[in-house]
Amino acid sequence: MENKIITKYWNKIDPLNIQDYIKVGGYDALKKFIRDMDARTALEEIKKSGLCGRGGAGFPTGQKMEMVAEKTEKKYFICNLDESEPGTYKDSSIVDNNPHMLLEGIIVSALIVGAGKAFIYLNGHYEKQKEILAHALEQAREKEFLGKGIIGSCYDLDIEIFQGAGAYVCGEETALINSMEGNRGEPKLRPPYPTDSGLCGKPTCVNNAETIASVPWIIVNGGEAYSKIGASCSPGTKLYILGGAVKKPGVVEAPTGTTIHKLIHEFGGGISCGKELWFAQIGGASGRLITENELDTPLTFSRDCPVPLGSGAVLIVDKSVNIYDLILSWTGFFRRESCGKCVPCREGTFRLHEIAGRLKDGEISERDKEALEDILWTLNNTTFCPLGKFAATAMSDAVEKLGILGD
Amino acid sequence: MSTVEKILLEFEPETRNLLPVLKRISAAFGYVSQKDAQKAAKYFDLPLSRVYETVSFYDLINIKKQPELTIEVCSGTNCAVNGSFEIIREIENLFHVKAGDENNPRIKLEIISCLGQCGEGPVVVVNGKVYTKVTVSGVHGILKEWV
Ligand SMILES: Cc1cc2nc3c(=O)[nH]c(=O)nc-3n(C[C@H](O)[C@H](O)[C@H](O)COP(=O)(O)O)c2cc1C
Ligand code: SF4
Ligand code: FES
Repeated sequence: MENKIITKYWNKIDPLNIQDYIKVGGYDALKKFIRDMDARTALEEIKKSGLCGRGGAGFPTGQKMEMVAEKTEKKYFICNLDESEPGTYKDSSIVDNNPHMLLEGIIVSALIVGAGKAFIYLNGHYEKQKEILAHALEQAREKEFLGKGIIGSCYDLDIEIFQGAGAYVCGEETALINSMEGNRGEPKLRPPYPTDSGLCGKPTCVNNAETIASVPWIIVNGGEAYSKIGASCSPGTKLYILGGAVKKPGVVEAPTGTTIHKLIHEFGGGISCGKELWFAQIGGASGRLITENELDTPLTFSRDCPVPLGSGAVLIVDKSVNIYDLILSWTGFFRRESCGKCVPCREGTFRLHEIAGRLKDGEISERDKEALEDILWTLNNTTFCPLGKFAATAMSDAVEKLGILGD
Repeated sequence: MSTVEKILLEFEPETRNLLPVLKRISAAFGYVSQKDAQKAAKYFDLPLSRVYETVSFYDLINIKKQPELTIEVCSGTNCAVNGSFEIIREIENLFHVKAGDENNPRIKLEIISCLGQCGEGPVVVVNGKVYTKVTVSGVHGILKEWV
């Protein structure tokens, strides 16, 4: 069975040369779409594939595309390449290694939903990726894969890069849209969902870059073939970003449903020499902590999965790591990145970070311990957007599973 | 040397260009001064407060003049497990500064979020120049280049 879809040609083709990608079958999905399919039949394949969002939430991609495709007004397609979850650099690796696969995915997806204009919302720090993408866009235009009358058809599409300015919350789709409209990047109340009222009030389909990069393969090989890869609840392959105490850190592609144990040992070459595994954190700073006896859990996007895959970051923490520094990393991150729109998160992340500082200095009081419980509950249950919940996840696990507060 | 007026004229006065414009101004002059914010407000035909709403939100736009030396240390999860907090403490001791202190006119030491170069952490940025795989001992050599 095919286990490499996105990374198949990494390090084998020149990412700056469109011809290299075409030689290995690149843009065949676009050609197939234009010659043998239409938006409806292509959408059917996406739905059949079971592809679900790689941005973290795992929402069925076909269903989202359909909600926008049904609309008859002007609409937009946005590729979410904000990628600012700590420890996550998979989307930028797609751009570095095979930008045309992403562009092809954006073009096909935009045509499926019927958008005449697509945007790439790029992380503000990704200057190198901006150049690569601009170069790739130019090449695609020359080949008439983009622009007016794509390869002789009646389809028109333009893609524009919009670069963010450094704010984690802008990865959340409504905040992302706010930021593109020149506003503060704060999340908006949903509903209305972007699929009904997104950019400039028009129906907008926002998808993660990795989700989009899987689309060409599905169009060429069919939805059914894709649905057979990996875990049946959320099929396909996934990019995992291995970091921390593994011998071979980096981005690897493996089917969904792969266990953490396998990721560490088969893909990451095992635990680094002289280090002893303590726990793993799955999904960046927002991710849950997994201790040794849970390493056999398969990672999927299903709601029933005890360990959500999130961004796919797998951080291996060994026993030599100063846990209080890591806690400061989490709490400091969410304190900085809380957009301030809602009180529970603005205050909660601030207090959490203060307590983390006292914990580090060994000055934590009984009052702090009680307050901590309240703060975590409040973040988990009452914030306006999921960022607040994310802020509580790792800390709650650290209290429960690592016993950082002592008895 | 480009002027604020020149930068403004490169963009249509539509609100979707507000963020790109402010980012460009901040990159060109180190920060967006109140005067420049006023010019942008006028150009986009927006109230000044509306420009400040946007300008104050983003990490990559400064609204204060920056000190000669700005040191940013990534404290994302991957950099953190590789020792970024030890580097921060080393720099704090070296310059007698506190991370996050905005009132030192000469040096600013800032803890920042992940830059997406986690595979090569810890990452330290000095006046915009990115250093990877920084160690506690190596940071001295890096900072010598700048002081
Ligand atoms: C705080 C926060 C940050 C997010 N950051 C990202 C991000 O960096 N990249 C991304 O693709 N999705 C991010 N998301 C998820 C998006 O809101 C959205 O669900 C996603 O882009 C949809 O694409 P998908 O269905 O292909 O996953 C974030 C969500 C939240 C709540
Ligand atoms: S939860 Fe945090 S990030 Fe989300 S809206 Fe509230 S303050 Fe903003
Ligand atoms: S954690 Fe430091 S660059 Fe990502």
